[in-house]
Amino acid sequence: MIIGSAKESYAADEAIFTTNVQQIWLSLFAALCIAFPLFASDYWLLLACLIAINIVAAVGLMVLTGFTGQVSLGHAAFMGVGAYATAWLAKHGGMPFWLTIPFGGFAAAAIGVVFGIPSLRVKGLYLALTTIAASFILHFVFFNWTNVTGGARGMTVEPAIFFGTQLVTSGSLYWIAVPLAAFATWCATNLFRTRIGRAFIAIRDRDISAEVLGIELFRYKLMSFALASFYAGVAGGVWVYLFRVVTPESFRLIDSIFLLAAIIVGGLGSIRGAIFGAAFMTLVPELLKLGVATLEPHWPSVVQILSPVRTIIFGTLIVGFLMFEPLGLNEIWRRVRRRFALWPFRT
Amino acid sequence: MMEEKKMSKRVDRRTILGGLAAGAAVSGFPAPWVKGLRAQEADEIIIANASPLTGVFAFAGIEGSEGGQHFVQWLNERGGIANRKVRLITEDTGYQVTQAVAVFNRIVSQYKVALFLGDSTGFQKTINEELNRRGILLAGASFSSEINDPQKYPLQYMPGPDYSQQVAMLLKHIVATKNGARIAFVHSDTEFGRDPIAKSETLAKSLGLEQVEKIITPPGSFDVSPEVLKLRRAKPDFTIFHGYVMAPIPEFMRQMREARIETQFMGTFYSSDLGILQKMGEVADGYLGVNAYNYVGQDGVTGEAMDYIKKINAGRYRTNSYLQPWTNMALGTEAMRRCLEAGRELTGPNIKAALNTIKDYDTGGVIGTPVSVPGNSTNVGRIYRANLKAGRMEPVSDWIKADA
Repeated sequence: MIIGSAKESYAADEAIFTTNVQQIWLSLFAALCIAFPLFASDYWLLLACLIAINIVAAVGLMVLTGFTGQVSLGHAAFMGVGAYATAWLAKHGGMPFWLTIPFGGFAAAAIGVVFGIPSLRVKGLYLALTTIAASFILHFVFFNWTNVTGGARGMTVEPAIFFGTQLVTSGSLYWIAVPLAAFATWCATNLFRTRIGRAFIAIRDRDISAEVLGIELFRYKLMSFALASFYAGVAGGVWVYLFRVVTPESFRLIDSIFLLAAIIVGGLGSIRGAIFGAAFMTLVPELLKLGVATLEPHWPSVVQILSPVRTIIFGTLIVGFLMFEPLGLNEIWRRVRRRFALWPFRT
Repeated sequence: MMEEKKMSKRVDRRTILGGLAAGAAVSGFPAPWVKGLRAQEADEIIIANASPLTGVFAFAGIEGSEGGQHFVQWLNERGGIANRKVRLITEDTGYQVTQAVAVFNRIVSQYKVALFLGDSTGFQKTINEELNRRGILLAGASFSSEINDPQKYPLQYMPGPDYSQQVAMLLKHIVATKNGARIAFVHSDTEFGRDPIAKSETLAKSLGLEQVEKIITPPGSFDVSPEVLKLRRAKPDFTIFHGYVMAPIPEFMRQMREARIETQFMGTFYSSDLGILQKMGEVADGYLGVNAYNYVGQDGVTGEAMDYIKKINAGRYRTNSYLQPWTNMALGTEAMRRCLEAGRELTGPNIKAALNTIKDYDTGGVIGTPVSVPGNSTNVGRIYRANLKAGRMEPVSDWIKADA
């Protein structure tokens, strides 16, 4: 039984892992991720890729909204910028995926900074509205800048090539998407052990006080927008290699709402919450769908009849979390951990 | 003590959350976790249908999935394909490309699918490379002009003329009605809405028609007064709507009628369903629309398939969306029959090659003329006029074969 975690130095206080047990569990999880493609079907590998992409995007949004307190409803549009930039660079620049994806991130970061400027004057719902405007403006650009984006028909991309092998299946892209998600998560976790990360949190908690303490709001807010958009752009870049086509309909306002819901359900203000939220929002609709589909051999019209019910259940689950566990899945995780940490002395 | 007992039995929020999470997890328990196909009867032929049963296009998806089920029932009652039973697996996509791709992956990793029915242009474009890689044939609900290209989309087909061909039919009807007429296009600002416009503008010019206006609106918009003002100034003889299902078409027609603009309203497949036009109200009376099929319940329309449709639906009105998968599956299963008779395996390329041998095929009253599939579409359509007082669509043209 672990009865406490004494910290005797700042380094210990900043440590990501406080016990060896955590490292063992993480190693086991990493081993599971490595073994997963050996036994999982294409469908589950596709879902794993989608979860990884959504984790990258959600972690980015968590940096902006969960840690810096800047609400954004334009995150999917920044994913779109990344996706288009990646597709364009691959198609016209002939660049390999390991360059196009980060450049897609940089393009999204540059655009994100522009749309982050209003955050210096407005916050809360007003900022949410300005980011919605970003979503509409970028959608308009995707549609009408035909020479670059391909207009309504969008752009298609050739498969990513890795050491001469075309990454055409979800199984092959898994080895790009999942390590990238792990790396992105690791970077974000470490970010909050630095001055920059702490400045973000200070701005979220009280921006005026943060400024009094010497944190330059202009710089750090824009930095947060740039970082979040970079993450979104990278996620969009991987997305475009997975689906190999991007159109203006690919990244809509509803997708931004999806990501915002993911970080709220996961638990605001925690990287682990972003991971849980992205996994939950991606997996639960699919699991519900599978549940309905198992009845089909016995009841042929079950899918038509129960599909609307399925969406109601999904909606109810989200509302349920918001009502009964406003701190999100991350808090449930922490409670479970506490229970096991104190077992068998606490029931 | 009693109070304690009571407390311990109370369902608390953690129990509820645990229950919800467990329910969600258990519902996916029998999931296709591992690689390899699921058991399916050796001679069973699987057709998969990824359909929008929820979301904005649920009205079409539900109709279509019922049409698909009825077709399979009809076919199996007649012995299936070369005495092999057909099974239809339907899944919801919510009209979202990512969900549709997930559905595709899940079904094809579990079953050997002979034909896949897709739900949108976006999905069909996205999945095209995967179809080619896996050798699976897809029939879509999309009439996208881009997909009607056997070179770029070799393993896809559509159950009717593409959008450019549909507008071309309307333009030729206009020329036959009034030479040198003034026309206006009103289309949505979507991929669907923009699809045929550039090609149609060129065709209109070559046919000697004067294009006096082009209006672009968001789909489903309601405030169209400024656009109607433009149309009032332009005075088109014919106004062609495309890229909408319902709104803003009725609002355009109402305001234009109130402004006493004498124009003939026209539209393409998705806004030419009788049920939709009836919902638009009396302003839609006289509307001309292109359809790829006969209407269910249309006077004088008979045939083995159409009689079955009427019988099984017992007087219930069925929309055009019901007949889309029916036609897709009728053509696909006919191609499969030809494949099996020739002793060829049911792979996408084999079925598509057999599909392209279909010539003057009788759809049993679903399409009022024998159809061929030389490329990726059936290429025939007909123009109908809405007679809402009589509650029917009346043909104003013969069946028209679209130009390639």
